[in-house]
Amino acid sequence: MSKQDKRNLEWERFAAERFGDEKKAYEAPQMSDEGYAKMKAAIERAKQENRAQREAETHGPSVPETPIDVESKTLGKVETLKSSTKKRAKNPTKRSAWKRASLAVAAVFALLILLPNTSATVAHAMGTVPGLGKLVSVITFRDYSYHDAYDSAEVHVGEIGVNENAKADKQVKQNAKQSAQEINAEVQKLTDQYVKEFQANLADEGYQDMLVKSENVLTTDNYFTLKLIAYEGAGSGSEFDRYYTIDLRTGKRLKLQDLFRDGADYIAPVSKEIKRQMKAQMAADPDVMYWLDSDVSAWNFKAIDADTEFYVNAKGCLVISFDEGKVAPMYMGVVTFEIPDRVIDGIRK
Amino acid sequence: MKSVRHSDDGRQDAAPSEAQALSEAEKSREALVEDTLLKNYQTYYHLALSYVHNEPDASDIVQNGAYRAMRASLQLKNGDYVETWVYRIMLNEIFRFVKSPAKRETSWEDLLADGFDRGANDTYLEVDLQGAMNRLSPDEQAILELRYFEDRKLEDIADILDVNPSTVKSKLYRSLSKLREILQ
Repeated sequence: MSKQDKRNLEWERFAAERFGDEKKAYEAPQMSDEGYAKMKAAIERAKQENRAQREAETHGPSVPETPIDVESKTLGKVETLKSSTKKRAKNPTKRSAWKRASLAVAAVFALLILLPNTSATVAHAMGTVPGLGKLVSVITFRDYSYHDAYDSAEVHVGEIGVNENAKADKQVKQNAKQSAQEINAEVQKLTDQYVKEFQANLADEGYQDMLVKSENVLTTDNYFTLKLIAYEGAGSGSEFDRYYTIDLRTGKRLKLQDLFRDGADYIAPVSKEIKRQMKAQMAADPDVMYWLDSDVSAWNFKAIDADTEFYVNAKGCLVISFDEGKVAPMYMGVVTFEIPDRVIDGIRK
Repeated sequence: MKSVRHSDDGRQDAAPSEAQALSEAEKSREALVEDTLLKNYQTYYHLALSYVHNEPDASDIVQNGAYRAMRASLQLKNGDYVETWVYRIMLNEIFRFVKSPAKRETSWEDLLADGFDRGANDTYLEVDLQGAMNRLSPDEQAILELRYFEDRKLEDIADILDVNPSTVKSKLYRSLSKLREILQ
């Protein structure tokens, strides 16, 4: 028996022992009655949707399309997933038969439509204008949804618009309209990119898990911030967060440097504070890690720049945000740092 | 709770248009997947629980997996592999959950919390098996659990995870050696 074989045997024995002990604990918990009922309900729902889908395919859509404007796109069913030609080591017949079974036509819903922001509509119908006085708000959503055995995509992204009834100067409103247009265009471009890539990869093996959604960030009365979260889970998974801010006093988009007095050096104090917080967090918790003093100096965080993602939170504090993997190992996820007022008081506008 | 086989006589009397919507073959595929789910849901639940460590999330995973499997059942061409096929969908659902940013906080905190077992008399931090398993990658954990808790053959595991059996074998031994290190 080779050395490796002996080692493997040892490991197997160790495993059989340890796992044997644990098996009871592993098998003990039972799904609750409620959980079981929910699972049954999910099964039923799926069955109904299967029938509805077949119905729609033979007799045309039974669900009336929501009245939408010309920018909406309704994608038809996604057609055949091409069979993979990836090589297999053993049992090619068995495996390819199964491959064919699981990669056959995946005709499931894939719609890209504009949905009115129903909560806004309802509120308006009830006589209250949502965000009364708010210059900017989310007025519609662009949705995309695709689910099959291996791939999943959820897109729920808001489009912003200017409230005509808001109390603001004509110029401010005009600026705001332009800002909103710009932001919507940027968000749409990013979203479409994710959807396109997702669809292009459907034929591949492995799974995809794509998510693009927007959130309203809670901020002071002076700003409106839309946060865009984009995530693609194939392989190791990666999340990007983007912040789009409009200064409601001017209607213009807010750049990081706009928060500070002209010519003031904000980069140094903010960067220094971030490094301080990184060091403190790492000292307090061994599982927290930032690229600060690592061996790969190219990765180490040195300073923010004018394009660093940021927003102003409800307390009025500046928050800096870094994408996954930018200033810390991927497992840390997206990391944010709140910059205390005392650090930048002297240079804030 | 026993695995109850639910009879669906009630649903056979659907409106005529509904009854005709699916072909006989499709209906039998659906039934096959449904049976598999109802027979094995506790297994999927145990697997999910070993990753997320709380009942509501584990239940959600199984629900979502069940929904997905039923929706995809229309495409299942080879009934012989239905069990493996559903397993794969459930595992993907688990992986999806564990890696999703929305859930990241929970799973990361759980990983940290489960990494250490506070034994009063220990001179060093002892790690229990579950905690140690969570330190491995999701698919390494899956291989170990499918092998030692679910007693699946390496071939089956390879099908479920969609890799070569030799890859499963080497990952198995690699993760066992990692496990031993963590637990030592």
